[in-house]
Amino acid sequence: MTSIDTTLAPAAPALRTASLSRRIWKQAFASFEFRLGLGVFLVLALAAAFYPEISGIDPTKMVVRDRLLPPMFFGDNWTIAHPLGTDQIGRDMLVRSLVGLRYSFLIGVSTVAVMLVIGCALGMLAGYYGGKVDAVIMRLTDAQLSIPMIILAISVLGVSRPTIPAIILVLGLSSWPTYARVTRSVVMTERKREYVRAAQVMGASNLRIMLRLLAPLILPPIIFVSVLDVARMMIFESILGFIGLGVQPPTPTFGNIIADGRKYLLNAWWIATLPGVFLGLTLTSINLMGATLERARNRVYGGVS
Amino acid sequence: MTEAKPVLSVRDLTVDLVLGDGPAAARRPLIEAISFDLKPREILGIIGASGSGKTVLSRALVNWIEPPLAIAGGSVTYKDRNILTLPRGEMRALRREIAYVGANPQGALDPTLPVGRQIVEKLRAVAPEIDRKEAEERAIALLDAVRIPSARSRFHEYPSQFSGGMMQRALIVDALVSNPAFLVADNVTQPLDVTVAAQVLRLMRELTVRFDTAVVFVSSSLPTVAEVADTVLVLEGGRVVERQATKSLVSAPTHAYTRELIGQIPQLWTDTSAPAATAEDAEPVFSIRDATRSYKVRKRGTFAAMSTVRAVRNVTFDVFPGENFGVVGESGCGKSTLMRLLSRLELPDSGVVLADGKDVAKLSGKELMQFRKNFQLVLQDPFSSLPPRTAIGAILEEPLRTHGERNGKAIRERVLTVMHEVGLPASLYDELPLGLSAGQRQRVNVARAMVLAPKVLIMDETLSSLDQTEQFKLLKIFEDLQALHGLTYVFISHDLAMVRRVCNRVAVMYLGEVVEIAGNERLFFDPGHPYSRALLSAVPTLEARRYKPEDCLLEGEPPSPIDLPPGCSFASRCPNVFDRCRVESPALTVRGRSDFAACHLVDPHGETARELVEEPA
Repeated sequence: MTSIDTTLAPAAPALRTASLSRRIWKQAFASFEFRLGLGVFLVLALAAAFYPEISGIDPTKMVVRDRLLPPMFFGDNWTIAHPLGTDQIGRDMLVRSLVGLRYSFLIGVSTVAVMLVIGCALGMLAGYYGGKVDAVIMRLTDAQLSIPMIILAISVLGVSRPTIPAIILVLGLSSWPTYARVTRSVVMTERKREYVRAAQVMGASNLRIMLRLLAPLILPPIIFVSVLDVARMMIFESILGFIGLGVQPPTPTFGNIIADGRKYLLNAWWIATLPGVFLGLTLTSINLMGATLERARNRVYGGVS
Repeated sequence: MTEAKPVLSVRDLTVDLVLGDGPAAARRPLIEAISFDLKPREILGIIGASGSGKTVLSRALVNWIEPPLAIAGGSVTYKDRNILTLPRGEMRALRREIAYVGANPQGALDPTLPVGRQIVEKLRAVAPEIDRKEAEERAIALLDAVRIPSARSRFHEYPSQFSGGMMQRALIVDALVSNPAFLVADNVTQPLDVTVAAQVLRLMRELTVRFDTAVVFVSSSLPTVAEVADTVLVLEGGRVVERQATKSLVSAPTHAYTRELIGQIPQLWTDTSAPAATAEDAEPVFSIRDATRSYKVRKRGTFAAMSTVRAVRNVTFDVFPGENFGVVGESGCGKSTLMRLLSRLELPDSGVVLADGKDVAKLSGKELMQFRKNFQLVLQDPFSSLPPRTAIGAILEEPLRTHGERNGKAIRERVLTVMHEVGLPASLYDELPLGLSAGQRQRVNVARAMVLAPKVLIMDETLSSLDQTEQFKLLKIFEDLQALHGLTYVFISHDLAMVRRVCNRVAVMYLGEVVEIAGNERLFFDPGHPYSRALLSAVPTLEARRYKPEDCLLEGEPPSPIDLPPGCSFASRCPNVFDRCRVESPALTVRGRSDFAACHLVDPHGETARELVEEPA
């Protein structure tokens, strides 16, 4: 014995029937942060899904009479019909922001999904097989890393028409190398563990070991980190929208709303600010949920409860 | 003779484990009210099962107690001062007189600095008045004294270039270099092979005479302690239950716990109820023929040159159904490579491994799955062999799912049956392996192999990480499982006592070769190979030895498998070596009915030699 055992021997654990994932969810749900995050997220999601249709307001309809109305309780000519005010040509900001949220969120999440799938798959292969496979994949990764993302995006989207799938692909394909690197290094250490050998002796194929044994072990922390990337990708989409290579007007996205509102910042600050507020709210709620889940996961896997 | 003043006296020492903060913290005593004196030149043995507070005690003796542990009371008096209450600065000055050697030699030295430099560094930290040159000379002289070959050049080598045994010696030098008055040796022999451990023990005894050092020798194995100690302290649950001179402790233990400990020590020669050799007319389940496996490693100090490590060389043996076959040898002898060959994790470079008469290299598809099902492996390390974040039930279900079982209910039932068979409570089904003890983890390992209902289990050092009591229980389970399912076991181990207890036939390996195959009785009472005798002589035991270490083993360690000397590979350590051994490698020679040994001194007609024996190699 070299180590001093500091954990008290558990007093005969009571029969617990709940599976591990149920215990994690229960732990997370018991915390205030998770519920707050979930609440905000649900309100935003439901609003984005239903409000534009239910309210019957067309996000592209111009009403020049109502232009540049301030949000509720600001200034003196606000109306209940446009709770978050209107933009320079009288379009309702609430509906525009919610529709923008839809697109931004769609693009953010699918981009991260593309990144994760490509990065983790390549990283897993490289780390698991090692040798030549590893060398080829890692040199590809280096090559990809050497191309600045914004230049790639400008050249691809500038040549072809910037549709939503194209934007997703361009953003996703340009940021996977980090994931490949991280996955590879984790897989390389886990691969040498004895339980991988045990699985081989049981007759498990390489694919099975990768998907059923290694993936559940290494992916959760990576996925947690990738939630932060959803935010980054939403901002990138806004940047593309801002320089006119994102989703094309009149479809509202955060990027082009901000780009439009920039000119009116002095006399109508809300046009450029509101998309930012929505972006912030969404990301805060996602991060709150992610952090609590991660903490619950660590507690359960750490044996604390 | 007047009673010498004790070097160290311990009075009512109590150490608590403190969980939580402030006055509400939960305290649990780990060691309680321990008192003893250590006389100059004495070797005091401390023995106890794992969890009895040995390590805590040995650290308390050198004032190395860190949160969450806390000293609750008592004193450790050295030179009329209680070192537990000394201020830090004064304690540092005392460090040169108090030394500690731990159980993990590889972890104790910085891998990026040469060994010698680290020893000098340490000496100069506690004794800054010694200049570098003098410190170096002293370290080299000591390295020489602990018999590290060519100490002067070894001084500049890195820890990775030292073998386990040499490393432990280097650490002893590290501890002795400041000329301490007493040395605490915490389980120093545990990670070492028996023959090397025997050498380290011999060294310990010499040191007390040569350097006037008193030694506190902590170990979990009573035979090891009995080998070196003058007096033995028995710890149980943090308390001293017995203190006696070694001889009388072994012959007349007074406390029930000591008697139990002594009762659990397996006996090599006194106990004659060893399993007999099985009949060999059956078809062998495993048969390995002339298998050789070598690895390419980068040559040290070069950029691209490769050298070959011949890990397994021309190994040939059969394993028959229903028997317990043992493979013994020290670390680095190729046991693990052999395990990988038998379990088809790797294929031999030449030669074949036959399982049920089929060459495992040619298996594929359905046949391979069938082989996987029938031949299962139980791994060595109880900690890294279980995926850390999978529930135990799911770990045990996985092999069944791999083999195409889809019915969830049937899977669960099968898993629960096997868990019951190996003695795991059903309540662990949804638990993580996290809180399990090493013994329970090994049960999960055995259950994972058993769940497929195999015919053969290969045990790769499965029991070596467990203490005596747990080993006992698991061996019982193995016996029950064998009776229930008619299993065949292949035990790969370095523990001769365990092999003596369970195996029908034993193969002894040295540097990748099988040097002897013999039935249990024959191997232990009439070994044919000098290496088998050396191994037997080095086993720590309380019995009168049949073989004296002085006669059977020369100093030194096995040669590296990279540069194998020509001739017999044991020649460099063999006491009976003669000229022929250095040029010609002996082949396995039949001795008696079914036993083989590879030595030029074996007389093939020494016993009832059977006619028309096929040459085994």
